[in-house]
Amino acid sequence: MAERAVTTKKSGNFIQAVLAIAWKDLAAELRSRELISAMLVFAMLVILIFNFALKLDARTRMTATSGILWVTFTFAGTLGLNRSMAVEKDRGCLDGLLLAPVDRASIYFGKLLSNLAFMVIMEVIVLPLYSLLYNINLFIPGLLLVILLGSLGYIGIGTLLAAMAVQTRTRDVMLPILLFPVVIPVVVAAVEASSGLLQGLEWSEISYWINILLAYDVIFIAIAFMVFDYVVEE
Amino acid sequence: MNITPNTTNYMIAGYAVFFGVIVIYLVSLYSRWSRLQRDMRSLEEMNQDKPK
Amino acid sequence: MTKKPLLLLILDILCLVLVAVAAYLALVYAPMEVTMGNVQRVFYFHVANAWVGMLGFIAAGVAGIAYLRTHDVKWDIVEEAAVEISLVFFLIAIVLGSIWARPVWNTWWTWEPRLTTAAITEMIYLAYFMLRGGIEDPGRRARFSAVYTLVGSISVPITFMAIRFFRTIHPVVIGTQSAAAQGGFNMTPHMKVAFFFSLLAFTVVFIDLFWHRIRLGHLSNQVEDLKQKVME
Repeated sequence: MAERAVTTKKSGNFIQAVLAIAWKDLAAELRSRELISAMLVFAMLVILIFNFALKLDARTRMTATSGILWVTFTFAGTLGLNRSMAVEKDRGCLDGLLLAPVDRASIYFGKLLSNLAFMVIMEVIVLPLYSLLYNINLFIPGLLLVILLGSLGYIGIGTLLAAMAVQTRTRDVMLPILLFPVVIPVVVAAVEASSGLLQGLEWSEISYWINILLAYDVIFIAIAFMVFDYVVEE
Repeated sequence: MNITPNTTNYMIAGYAVFFGVIVIYLVSLYSRWSRLQRDMRSLEEMNQDKPK
Repeated sequence: MTKKPLLLLILDILCLVLVAVAAYLALVYAPMEVTMGNVQRVFYFHVANAWVGMLGFIAAGVAGIAYLRTHDVKWDIVEEAAVEISLVFFLIAIVLGSIWARPVWNTWWTWEPRLTTAAITEMIYLAYFMLRGGIEDPGRRARFSAVYTLVGSISVPITFMAIRFFRTIHPVVIGTQSAAAQGGFNMTPHMKVAFFFSLLAFTVVFIDLFWHRIRLGHLSNQVEDLKQKVME
């Protein structure tokens, strides 16, 4: 009986810690809005460059949209991850967090939540802007699910790798080098699923990609959660 | 009638690449090994000379 | 430690013999393939080298997990050796695949799932070495490398499956046929001998080079340790 009370208390603490860490970042961002604005401006610039780089007519634009969106999200996402971790390191917050009597995994989940929130906020603003600029309706419910699942996989593994990258000599440059080759399944699946949804394909053709996204999310969040300790210990 | 194309040049290129890369790798292994041996010897000398 | 064990010397000689025999079988003993000509002979070494790359890949994954569980530096040495060997052999396999593709499909690259996944794996290996290069502290370097190896080991098979499905939906069309349809051939018994002997020969090559590279890693660590000691 007493044991059960202790375990519930521990899991309660865990969730509290996760939410506290996530809220710390979100609150800081609400005040300064540095990160989101940087990600947004960057995303818009990428879309602008694509407009001139690809010279798409109305028809090819339909098929290229999903690719352009995901390239944009991938690059802007890197920006967010880098900044989020760099801030921890530079201000010494990470050391402080490590001293606190919380499970290391809660740091991972807390950062995961805040990083995910930043990425999703950026995406939620980019989508309608892209819709307007290219006259394509992007408000298909399945699409939002795909974007969420894709971002979750990206941020899930990205948070772990960012924690490593920020501790190397080359810091910012290191993250994309580590992240991009291992996040390819997410990009392929997300682009294919998005593209399928935009073209109105049968669910059976899209479901394979959704399954890959789900599997990737579960597997890599589990791995990251298990090894996060090794990445932040002193 | 199907004539078998003469692709011998490509075959030679392929095997040349194989042997070339392997040789380069073996040379790299060997030179790293000798450099480490040299370092080891000089470090051991320095260790002897060090005042205890 | 620094004197080469007799068994390794025997293995070295065995490798040379086996590779020579494998080359003979591939270049002379096996018949020339009728639709592609002599370039098909590249196939025997292409697959065998990719096989060695695979062995290295698996060895690296196992070593990474072993390091995380034991924190014994010898696993870090094994892991780095495995990645390096896999890097070299996948490189050869990829280039040989490209050389084979050129006369058969009139293109240097086919975006075929295995080839593409091998190329992605090479990028992961390069990232691995850049990661190692950017960390001074040996303990942290070993830990981070092991974590990245684990991540890579799981990500690559998933990548392969994703690309394979992608290719069934979007086949690469070269000329008038899909790339998958062309370039196939049936192996005669003589070809099979050459093929399987190559696999055998290169498995021994893998063991030999792996052992050599692990010895190199140990020596390197010893030098580092001694350097620390002397600099104090």
